[in-house]
Amino acid sequence: MQIFFILGIPVLLALTALLVKKQRIFGILNSIGYLVVLCGSILLLKKTVLSGGVKLCGDFIYLDALSAFFIFVISVVAFAAALYSVGYIRKDIEKGIISEKKARVYYILFNLFCCSMLFVPAVNNLGILWVAIEMTTLISAFLVGFYNSKESVEAAWKYIIICSVGIIFALLGTILFYYAFSLSGGTRSLNWSIIAAGAANMDKNILKVAFIFILVGYGTKAGLAPMHTWLPDAHSQAVSPISALLSGVLLKTAIYAILRFGIIIIKGVGFAYFSNLMILFGMISLAISCGFILVQKDLKRLLAYHSVEHVGIISIGLGIGGILGTGGALLHVFNHAVTKALMFFGAGNVVNKYRTHNMHVIRGVINVMPFTGFMLFMGAFALAGMPPFSIFISEILIIFSAFLKGSYLVAFLLLGFITVIFGAVVHHFSKILFGNSPKGMLAVKEPLSGKLAFLFLFVQICAVGIVLLFIKKDLAWIVQKLFQG
Amino acid sequence: MRELILFGVLATTYLMVIAKRMPALIRGFRYQSFFLFLITLVAGYTEKQINLYFIALLILVLKVFIIPHVLNLIAKKISVEENLGLFVNAQLSLIVALALTYCSRVFSETLGFGMDYRLAAITVAFSVIFIGAFLMISRMKAFAQVTGLLVMENGIFLFASFVSGGMPFFVEIAVFLDVFVSVIIMGLFIYRVNKLFTHIDVNKLSRLKG
Repeated sequence: MQIFFILGIPVLLALTALLVKKQRIFGILNSIGYLVVLCGSILLLKKTVLSGGVKLCGDFIYLDALSAFFIFVISVVAFAAALYSVGYIRKDIEKGIISEKKARVYYILFNLFCCSMLFVPAVNNLGILWVAIEMTTLISAFLVGFYNSKESVEAAWKYIIICSVGIIFALLGTILFYYAFSLSGGTRSLNWSIIAAGAANMDKNILKVAFIFILVGYGTKAGLAPMHTWLPDAHSQAVSPISALLSGVLLKTAIYAILRFGIIIIKGVGFAYFSNLMILFGMISLAISCGFILVQKDLKRLLAYHSVEHVGIISIGLGIGGILGTGGALLHVFNHAVTKALMFFGAGNVVNKYRTHNMHVIRGVINVMPFTGFMLFMGAFALAGMPPFSIFISEILIIFSAFLKGSYLVAFLLLGFITVIFGAVVHHFSKILFGNSPKGMLAVKEPLSGKLAFLFLFVQICAVGIVLLFIKKDLAWIVQKLFQG
Repeated sequence: MRELILFGVLATTYLMVIAKRMPALIRGFRYQSFFLFLITLVAGYTEKQINLYFIALLILVLKVFIIPHVLNLIAKKISVEENLGLFVNAQLSLIVALALTYCSRVFSETLGFGMDYRLAAITVAFSVIFIGAFLMISRMKAFAQVTGLLVMENGIFLFASFVSGGMPFFVEIAVFLDVFVSVIIMGLFIYRVNKLFTHIDVNKLSRLKG
């Protein structure tokens, strides 16, 4: 039942955005709407974890713990982004970068974008899943090119073309799955719940080829290297709240799609095949992003490459598998979403103030914007994987599981890359946070809604980390529940 | 009959490979979509399915008339130079296209699609997909990218209809609408790119690096 609220509220808000003229009022309304969505998703998660999957609308919607978990992650980041947008958009209007009318367009697109993302985990039919993911691309392309500058339109163009081509291959893979399924039994269906049930009888060779197409296709959208080339452009040029959504949850919806197909593959072909491919792509992502993070000059591109790294870690975690590996990866999905959203909000404030992305120019953030500076400082450590923040926990879980499984090479490489990236991130952020701020840069007061968004995310980063340090038993239980789906 | 139409699809794909100007490319796409329409019509007739007639009608309206028309309209509106800007010249492109067709043949054999006409159909479908991708990367103008994407989409449709008698009906419709919307949106972006950069050469879009 909750799912209708979760999907309905963004649509309703998009319609309301057409009517409400005052942007400030609508921004607050928007945040309240997403708070309701968040509550709904928590209830949904509770329900599915306790009582298993549900089907609605005659098999059209299928919700198990896995999809409820992804809906929950999406609504957390969407709520934070809605909250942050209030102050961010008002500032843009005050500075005359965008008009009141364009702000309205922003809110309409924002809501449509969130709705399409929330739709992805809810839908059962794999063909409609494809359509939903393509829809997220088409809507967010406008948000990437929102400022209509040369750079942003170029980024939007690359984004829409690369992702559309990538996803075409995913459609090919989906059709191959469909074919393999129709060969194995009399029934024809694209519904995940039915295909997954009959996975064991499907033709192995076709499944293998199909999964490669899926991985390349949705992997493009997920930002797995070497198909990640759209990602730094799009993330660095989008409006900052949207950067947070792109990086925090859009990539995860593609991961979700890969995971759904992965479950069929594991049942049909065996775990080793899935595992090898995921670890391979994860490692390539880590290696490539590591190099780019080291030499990066642009603040938002740095964060974007960081997303490539984390998607790599997630994919390695899924590849290693087992309760610890998969649990770590799913936990990492959540942790990365909240931490990266926090960082993009911070970067958005910094870029707004300094009017540049160049990290050689940005200096002394902590003096100019004490609150944002402090949050960026904590966020940078959280992102790099310092205890007691939550990313540390999920990374250590993944590394543990690699050791337990005896894949020492994977664990060793993973540790190596994470260490190098840790150094690079701390280096970059210590430079921009401390040091002398440029002359004539005065300290500013930050909007309340922005601060609330930061605090909301920061509490989650800390709380998840600290709570999980103490209750390891419950974690295993939750992961087991997630697995049953 | 079916073999003849399949041959038509392949021939129009080659026609697009050697096209040097935008109108020729769009015309090629129109012909290809028309053959796709014929194939679906024939399939609808032999399998006696009302769904397939409906899909055929959708192809005729969307892919033969509206989408090429929209592309032509945008081309007229931004009035850039009509040359596509070939990175790989026409002769070489044709050789690449032939090679891709051969690869598709080998690929469909390894997938185990038997030896009847279906093997030919799958080969054609894969060649259309791969040649579409080739068109996207070997042409300079943004239009070629959009058309290449549409060609790939056509290939996928062909593949789906031969491999398993088409996807479920409402999925097919959703995919069609999706393609339509994406063409409109890409058209908008071409328009914006042209306004800001005063050209639509994608190889010159290189402000974002590193």
